[in-house]
Amino acid sequence: MNRSQKIAWLFVITISLAVVSSLAAFAILYIKVGIPKAFAGFALLGIVGFAGFGQMIFPKDKGKIICDERDTFINRQAAIAGFATAFLVVGLACMLPFFILGPQATIAVWWLPNIFGAAGLASFFVHSVVILVLYGRSNKNE
Amino acid sequence: MAKSKIKNNIRQFRFENGQMTQADLADKAGVTRQTIIAIEAGQYSPSLELAIKIARAFGKKVDDVFEYEE
Repeated sequence: MNRSQKIAWLFVITISLAVVSSLAAFAILYIKVGIPKAFAGFALLGIVGFAGFGQMIFPKDKGKIICDERDTFINRQAAIAGFATAFLVVGLACMLPFFILGPQATIAVWWLPNIFGAAGLASFFVHSVVILVLYGRSNKNE
Repeated sequence: MAKSKIKNNIRQFRFENGQMTQADLADKAGVTRQTIIAIEAGQYSPSLELAIKIARAFGKKVDDVFEYEE
């Protein structure tokens, strides 16, 4: 397993953990204190920040060549998938309120940074999954 | 990555060239060992440049090492 795969695993684990725990916290707070305070549960999304330590935790791969054309290809595919996912999330976030609330409705501005955050999370998650899938499929003989 | 239509004889040539290891071939071709493993298993199609480098590592022509399966 190379460094990219290790970092991708860290992202997948931390993002999954953050999303599951924040949704659980939201559900518990919703039952106990109700809606606006229940949104505090999403503060647990901050767990994702630990993924940033991946660059420090995992040392650079040994050997003369640490990146070649296949690594570049996989990273490019992952970046495209990540960007497409972010585009999809922002697209859905823009279109769904239109169809659900109607064209004359208004939404609070605080949704905008949340949409940005959700798009970023989804993008990083898909980017990491694509890296794992593309490396994983071809590394079974190692 | 989908299974490639490009077949190769890298494994055979490695053994014919004094049991050359995947790491040795990777060093000669200027790629990582993971990439050689993926190419050998037919799970990654190398660029023309890399195919030429691999063929040269064996002292062969690209056609001898790689073949396209119709």
